[in-house]
Amino acid sequence: MASEATAEKFRALTPSEFFYRNRELAGFSNPARALYQAVRELVENALDATDPHGIHPTIKVILQKVSAERDNIFSISVEDNGIGIPSAQVPRAFGQLLYSSKYVLRQTRGMFGLGAKMAVLYGQMTTGKSVEVLTSTITAKNIYYFNIAIDVKTNTPIIHEKGVYRKNNGWHGTVVKLYLEGDWTRSKSKIYEYLKRTAIIAPYAEIVFEDPDGTITYFERSTRKMPPPPREVKPHPKGVDIEMMKMMLKATKAKTLLEFLIKEFQSIGEVTARRLIKNAGLLPDMKPHELSTEDVERLVRVIKSDTKIKPPSANHLSYVGEEIIKVGLKAILKPEFVTAVTRKPSVYEGHAFIVEAGLAYGGEIQPEDRPVLYRYANKIPLLYDEGADVARKVVDRIDWSHYGVTFPAPLVILVHICSTKVPYKGVGKESVADVPEVEHEMELAIREVARRLKRYLSKKKREREEAERAVAIAKYIPDVARGLAKIVNNVKEEMIEKELLKMLNMKLKSFKINSVSDVVVSIE
Amino acid sequence: MSYMSAVDVKARKKALKKIERAFSKLVKDILSGKAPTLVIRKRTLANTVFDAERGLLRIGNATLRRSFLNAGEAKKFMQTVLIASIIHEALKNDEYPTIRDLYYRGKHTIRFRDLVTSRIREENTWDEQKESDSVIRDLEVLIDMLREEMLILSKEKGKVVGDMRIKSGDDIIDLSKMGHGAYSIEPTPDFIEFKDVNAEFVLVIEKDAVFQQLHRAGFWKKYKALLITSAGQPDRATRRFVRRLSDELGLPIYILTDADPYGWYIYSVFKVGSITLSYESERLATPSARFLGVSMIDIFGSDKLKKKPYLTEAERKNYIIKATDTDIKRAKELKSYEWFRTKRWLEEINIFLKKKAKLEIEALTSKGLRFLMDTYIPEKIETGDWIA
Ligand SMILES: Nc1ncnc2c1ncn2[C@@H]1O[C@H](COP(=O)(O)OP(=O)(O)OP(=O)(O)O)[C@@H](O)[C@H]1O
Ligand SMILES: [Mg+2]
Repeated sequence: MASEATAEKFRALTPSEFFYRNRELAGFSNPARALYQAVRELVENALDATDPHGIHPTIKVILQKVSAERDNIFSISVEDNGIGIPSAQVPRAFGQLLYSSKYVLRQTRGMFGLGAKMAVLYGQMTTGKSVEVLTSTITAKNIYYFNIAIDVKTNTPIIHEKGVYRKNNGWHGTVVKLYLEGDWTRSKSKIYEYLKRTAIIAPYAEIVFEDPDGTITYFERSTRKMPPPPREVKPHPKGVDIEMMKMMLKATKAKTLLEFLIKEFQSIGEVTARRLIKNAGLLPDMKPHELSTEDVERLVRVIKSDTKIKPPSANHLSYVGEEIIKVGLKAILKPEFVTAVTRKPSVYEGHAFIVEAGLAYGGEIQPEDRPVLYRYANKIPLLYDEGADVARKVVDRIDWSHYGVTFPAPLVILVHICSTKVPYKGVGKESVADVPEVEHEMELAIREVARRLKRYLSKKKREREEAERAVAIAKYIPDVARGLAKIVNNVKEEMIEKELLKMLNMKLKSFKINSVSDVVVSIE
Repeated sequence: MSYMSAVDVKARKKALKKIERAFSKLVKDILSGKAPTLVIRKRTLANTVFDAERGLLRIGNATLRRSFLNAGEAKKFMQTVLIASIIHEALKNDEYPTIRDLYYRGKHTIRFRDLVTSRIREENTWDEQKESDSVIRDLEVLIDMLREEMLILSKEKGKVVGDMRIKSGDDIIDLSKMGHGAYSIEPTPDFIEFKDVNAEFVLVIEKDAVFQQLHRAGFWKKYKALLITSAGQPDRATRRFVRRLSDELGLPIYILTDADPYGWYIYSVFKVGSITLSYESERLATPSARFLGVSMIDIFGSDKLKKKPYLTEAERKNYIIKATDTDIKRAKELKSYEWFRTKRWLEEINIFLKKKAKLEIEALTSKGLRFLMDTYIPEKIETGDWIA
């Protein structure tokens, strides 16, 4: 009996079972968070299907209460004008966890192959309903309809329904609709905030949102300029560990080790390849699959300690750019001052990354006791776990009084990191880890925009002071002119007034007063 | 036909001309593109010089430049122009404004747009009379003319009686025929003409009440005096009148005040002029004026000077008032003024600081009006017991 009670039972979990049990890892922890997370995953997939492909996104999000009796069941529908999904891929893209087109080295919002499926899984769990997908690729002649569920035990899609319709217009894109239990009241502000921040970082997108209360919000497209599309890259040798090296050696078509290093990696030319091979005590014409585990270990160690390998190139990265960031901040926040900076590419652990910072100040922004921080990674707004994010740490470390800001102040800081590998703290993609190189770049970027704000504020202060001084004089011109004209014969009041204003204007640098009546309204 | 006296007509012409000259220059600058600037001598303690030779305070040479195109000075500049134009107009219209009138005539509201906030704001050309009074004084310095010469009136405070005839306006007034009253010294004493006088000295009394008592008791008749009271701090008219009596009639001037720093300063204003209005002393101060009393030595006596006090131990006990902290502070201040740093004055002040005691003139009338009239005053004048 005793031995039976303590005997451990062993079995394997499929990914779907694992994430079914640990859904909070992917952000689906409670009805409020799940509703927000589902919107987010679907919108990000929609954006991934558009802007990297040069398509100006048009996205429609509809959130509805399914029935009047049960106010915690919602339907989410997200429609995009993207590249669509090849019909053969649809079932697995929505019905099999860890299935993705984004497992390549290319900067996209999605990266785990989980997002859509977690929403489907959560919906299935809480409402028993499956997902409906309508999609057509650009070249497809048909529009495809699917109704899919996930077989949690086996992590395979179950196709409930499939339809094919002839396409008689040029439509392409995807509509995804699913049902889930949610808490609108408690997720409302987060969902709005998410869409607003998305509109800021992607002002070239047009987003319509209809919420469960029937309110329709339209974020209009405020520029046609789009970021450069991301491109797939070969890995940089410094970002590759022993395991990955083994996999690459196994998969390569190269005939020799020398050819393998030159062909499969970026930043390695023949000279570098020969040096690495020699330093690792290997031979250039070894066959890739002949390397022993020790050989691989040595090769990776030599690569890690080599100081001459060129840093990873960053021209595959899709940064947003100063202009678009400014347009986005301006359009949504309506600030009085806006600026942005895109830093030069930098590298951590063999991964190239670019940090961008934007700053918006004044105007319609409400003053707060500290800078409001808008964090983004690969153009995704990060809303949760702000306190754990390295960007918050950097912003809080800065002495803003040094830049002429005293709180409460209407100050918004935008920080964007883009990389083929963003160092997230978890699969929920909510905060960026304290990587020293990233932290350093963020600090430089934020300080740069802060310096520009300081210049702006001190210029504005100078101008304000000048305007005050000018008014302090101009308001007395009529009295002086009239007084003098009364005392002195044969001079016209208007003449004196004109001359005084002329002299005053000559002293003014930042503006001119056209007429005394711009200042003096009446004398009574 | 004009009902105006001839002196007034002449004065008006002169004042108009002076104002016009000063401001024509300003207009010329403006029309030739030069920043309009008023250069005015400073009316500050630092720019007050004691002219030891002439025994009066004078305004120094330090000037302040008031430029209209300087935001910090624009308002004062405007106020100066404004007051000048109002005075100019009053002169032209044959008016006699008081400084209060000028304040009201110049006061108006400027509504202007704040270019920073775009809000409409209001501001008065001036809020308190202090401000218009101050630019009137600036104008006096600027055109080197007293306001009385510009026919600006102020409240009459000083009074005079005595055996003397004067012409004021077009009337002859006999100062010996004022009954129980007295002649109010007019705000423009320069226009008074001295006709004939039968007096040997002038007695100026700080206290109006004591003046009345001496007047009714017939002091001026008995001692051939002109009796004047300033009723506290002397106004400009009283000072100018006293100065003219000294200058033009050569009469010795004796001043009788309370025995305290306040009284000493009244004496000092008559004699050397006041600090804030030092530019007027040239015309208003009477350097030959003598401080008759009441002195500390009159109260306490002096072994060194072999002088017996006028008060007995018992009277001192009754009449002496304890000096306040402000009195002490004021006395120390006076001690630092150059014109109080004479041997005799330092003695006075030091006794005061030691005894911390002061005394009002009324104490002497309490001892007996007769004592004041027939003993104290004549005896002190006769024996030369005054401070020069
Ligand atoms: N709206 C869409 N348009 C085109 N393709 C889509 C769309 N939505 C999903 N896909 C495809 O389905 C795949 C799976 O999406 P899913 O959100 O599950 O994972 P992911 O986006 O790759 O990674 P992540 O878990 O980080 O979101 C995507 O890689 C993409 O190829
Ligand atoms: Mg996704």
